[in-house]
Amino acid sequence: MTPTVSASGLSLRYGGIRALDDVSLRLTRGVTGLLGPNGAGKTTLLRVLATAVPPDRGAFTVLGHDPGTPRGRQEVRRVLGYLPQAPGFHPDFTAFEFVDYVAILKELTDRGARHREVRRVLAEVDLGDVRGRRIKKLSGGMRQRVALAAALVGDPGFLVMDEPTVGLDPEQRMRFRELIAQAGEGRTVLLSTHQTEDVAMLCNRVVVLAGGQVRFEGTPAELTARAAGRVWSSTERDPGALAGWRTGTGSFRNVGDPPPGAELLDPTLEDGYLLTLDDAGAEVAAA
Amino acid sequence: MRGGDVETGRGDEGGRRGRRVRGVSGALVPAVGRTVPWRALGAGAVVGLLLVALPRLLSVEPDPWLSLNLLRAAVLAFALGLAFLLDDPARHLTTPVTTRRWVRTGLRVAWVVPPAALWWTAALALVPEKVRPPVGSVTLEAGATAVFALAAAAMAVRFGNEPESGPTVAAGVLTTAVLAQVLLPDRWSLFVATGDPRWEAAHERWALVLALAALVWGACGPEPVRRGFRFLRRRPTAADPSAA
Repeated sequence: MTPTVSASGLSLRYGGIRALDDVSLRLTRGVTGLLGPNGAGKTTLLRVLATAVPPDRGAFTVLGHDPGTPRGRQEVRRVLGYLPQAPGFHPDFTAFEFVDYVAILKELTDRGARHREVRRVLAEVDLGDVRGRRIKKLSGGMRQRVALAAALVGDPGFLVMDEPTVGLDPEQRMRFRELIAQAGEGRTVLLSTHQTEDVAMLCNRVVVLAGGQVRFEGTPAELTARAAGRVWSSTERDPGALAGWRTGTGSFRNVGDPPPGAELLDPTLEDGYLLTLDDAGAEVAAA
Repeated sequence: MRGGDVETGRGDEGGRRGRRVRGVSGALVPAVGRTVPWRALGAGAVVGLLLVALPRLLSVEPDPWLSLNLLRAAVLAFALGLAFLLDDPARHLTTPVTTRRWVRTGLRVAWVVPPAALWWTAALALVPEKVRPPVGSVTLEAGATAVFALAAAAMAVRFGNEPESGPTVAAGVLTTAVLAQVLLPDRWSLFVATGDPRWEAAHERWALVLALAALVWGACGPEPVRRGFRFLRRRPTAADPSAA
């Protein structure tokens, strides 16, 4: 599939910290999950791709536009929707007024067409009935949907979402997953998350970032397959395991390098992710 | 049509940037007016007027020195309110939009200038004419202080991470004002009394403060932070994901 977003050699330092180190990736239409531990560089990568901060080195294109120049950056912003981790709001605005404000900032100047677009995105995120309610009176999940509507207004081709399900209760999270999946139809969506469940349920591609470097890029099934033969069951926690915990059945589930004759279990995406991080840590230690 | 212009009138015949900015500005004026932190500005304005009106309220006969310093205190109170002008709770969400930040900043300032001018007129009017300091000179001081506060707010936006840095900026402006009064040597003094032989020279320095503050403010307009300023960037954190 033709990539819609291509990045090559992105590097960025904050003082002495290398937040991104030679990151190259290619995104295609659909939802790509960006997994990584705290401090891995996920938010920094999203901010670079969202043109909020330029990289020190490297380049990228979004839907054929190169943000290396002011004009190119504007072109990228025209096709971009951005949902930050902590979206703030003007609390006295209603949901409609706020999304309308963002629509104006996105240069949708024709009032009638803009209002139709705002109503469309609010309906898309299921807020059509409360669009006249002040944001300060909305629940956390509803506010998050207002932010998603603001990101979706103008029908962007590239949607960047930074941990959008953090702080939502399970029901809200499920609802939000539906919206992300819907947003991913025909768009390129990059979804940063700590939740491997989100990736397993939503994403057709996954990128694992650790220490500012890409440690894995592929499908969720490929990431899961990395743990094949490395998850096993035992009656006691295996001290040689990278991670091990007692399950509801009373037996221990261990992840790592199994001893000979171990009873192997089917791996999950989380197992593959854990082992990828462990391999990355081992590489750093060896270096 | 995804990723391009939807039926919105956006970006018609690329290259008509001026027309587009005017169109966006026209649509933005009322919305930006609602994003102005009127409470902070109003509080600064009210405290300022109360300070200037103190002699009247206390039935005290003001002298020129007291009047001048009360006016300066009033200006400082108003400037502390101005320090909140660029606060934007939705900053993180609206960073990568096509309308540049300077347009929004310009509109906020445009909203505030007329009430600020009215406020200053009222403040001057509260000072009895016989003890009123030279209007041109104190207006220069007021302008420099206001622009200094705005430059500080713009710097906080440009290099900081907080969506609402007003309290920090206000503290910085207040501290700078106090330190300038206490620490500046006589030959650089800004706060001189009416009739002092250094009055003219002091107001040349006020003009310099105004010019420098305006330059800093202008320099803080572009976004994002360029490579040359990367040492000033801060890494995003979970608590503050917008850093950088």
